[in-house]
Amino acid sequence: MTDTEPHVAAVGTSPFGRTELTGRDLFSAAVAEAFEGGPDPAEVVDAMYVGNQSESYEHQIMYGTLLAEWCGLRHVPAERVEGCAAAGALALRHAVEDVRSGRRDAVLACGVEKMTAGGTAGATNALSAAFDRALEQRSGVTAPSQYALLAQRYLHETDATERDLARIAVKNHANAAANPRAQFQRETDVETVLDSDYVAPPLKLFDCAPVTDGAAAVLVATEEIARQFADDRPPVRVAGVGAGANNIGVADRDLTFVEGAHEAAAEAYEQAGLTADDVDIAEVHDAFTISEALLAEAAGFAPRGRGYESALPPAERSDGWTDTHLSTSGGLKARGHPIGATGLAQTVEVYEQLTGTATPERQVDDATTGLLINEGGVADAVTVAHVLTT
Amino acid sequence: MTDDDHTESETAPTTAPLARDDVTPDSPFTLPGFFAALDEGDLLAAVCEECGKRLVPPRPACYACGGRQLHVEVQPRTGTVVSYTEVRTPPPALADRAPYTVAIVELDSGARLTGRVTVPYAETSIGLPVRLTARDPDEDEREMALSYEVDWPIHEFDPV
Repeated sequence: MTDTEPHVAAVGTSPFGRTELTGRDLFSAAVAEAFEGGPDPAEVVDAMYVGNQSESYEHQIMYGTLLAEWCGLRHVPAERVEGCAAAGALALRHAVEDVRSGRRDAVLACGVEKMTAGGTAGATNALSAAFDRALEQRSGVTAPSQYALLAQRYLHETDATERDLARIAVKNHANAAANPRAQFQRETDVETVLDSDYVAPPLKLFDCAPVTDGAAAVLVATEEIARQFADDRPPVRVAGVGAGANNIGVADRDLTFVEGAHEAAAEAYEQAGLTADDVDIAEVHDAFTISEALLAEAAGFAPRGRGYESALPPAERSDGWTDTHLSTSGGLKARGHPIGATGLAQTVEVYEQLTGTATPERQVDDATTGLLINEGGVADAVTVAHVLTT
Repeated sequence: MTDDDHTESETAPTTAPLARDDVTPDSPFTLPGFFAALDEGDLLAAVCEECGKRLVPPRPACYACGGRQLHVEVQPRTGTVVSYTEVRTPPPALADRAPYTVAIVELDSGARLTGRVTVPYAETSIGLPVRLTARDPDEDEREMALSYEVDWPIHEFDPV
């Protein structure tokens, strides 16, 4: 272990859901939690990255400068990172690499999105900017319809059914019911999911993550600084980071295998010296239920064509599955999906699981290794994976 | 288009690698050139000399192998549906069209692209034979267009 090994020193989130608070206010809430009982940001933070999907929600760019100021910093380098829904983990990756390189001792990675500002129409419009303008946007595709194209083909090629996808939503709602941070702290059942309206068949309303206002903050630092924040907890190390990409246009891809996510996870495992079998818990990017199935396969937890079994207890899954617990936070589906903050919200869940500070109902016993996979654009147009260990 | 533009369009290279001065609005390797050809009835792809991959719209490099030796090829209009869905919550500009069907289609050449299908979802299926068409944008499509996109044609798929 070197003295530049990056650690998760502190974490915080705002509440997730619809609120009158603006983006900067949501950030204030996340920072208040992360720095409670520790040094002030101005005492430790050397640089800052802000994950943020779109200026169309609040008509605000320059989020690096703005949020640095809002937490008491002025002359530190601070910038916005853009990669649609992967922006949060892209910010985390920059923070990790800054500390790992020895250039910085403590870097604040945060994310913020005020998605409800323009209603459903505003969010639909803002998210569509992630698709290829030339052929996809002009054809009128939307986020649910893009994922529906993946889901339709997956259901065609595998044994999975709409009921199997519904089980993923039910499992994630059950997890969220035990997560005080979650937007939907309530359970649902398979029939409710199957009876919900189609948004883009075969995907129904309950297959989709919600529109969410929210922010999350993660301080990445050397072990020495990390100990100033949480002396009573096991230090959480960032053992591996990987990034990958895929075509911007969905038509050009393998529709049933997210290769970019596979590359990102493989790189993170290699850096950590671990394999999928070692991962106790994983936050995967379940923007839609189909995404959890695809990512279970891409991350090596499930054999090809069997990722849809992620909602089953480990003992009931097909041969070749790992024992990994997926989306213990409730996932994007039920914890909420504030686009630019999601990768950092995933980090918060992995941190809580590895430090044994998750609520007892969702705490996985003896979890020592966690993976988070954060995607942006449609599915794995850009993907960032991080392996965290105690 | 001006007369000068017409003169250039007859000389724009249809092979890559491109020189800096080859990147002009009438080049088939640029979007204005691609949509001008589509407006004339030709859907263009760039074909990679290295690996044979067909790229729609044409661009100066192949993502599959990294090759930059390509030539432009008119694509067949017929193909089959690889996947499809129905947009029920459309972008605001297309609200009056919903619901409508969108699909990923593989043309007989192997090239793939996304587009709207002109029949309802219930009449669409994986494997459905379709034919690509291009038409002038309607009023709502013009309203969502950026200034340089206003006259670009809209492509769609009709069942055969």
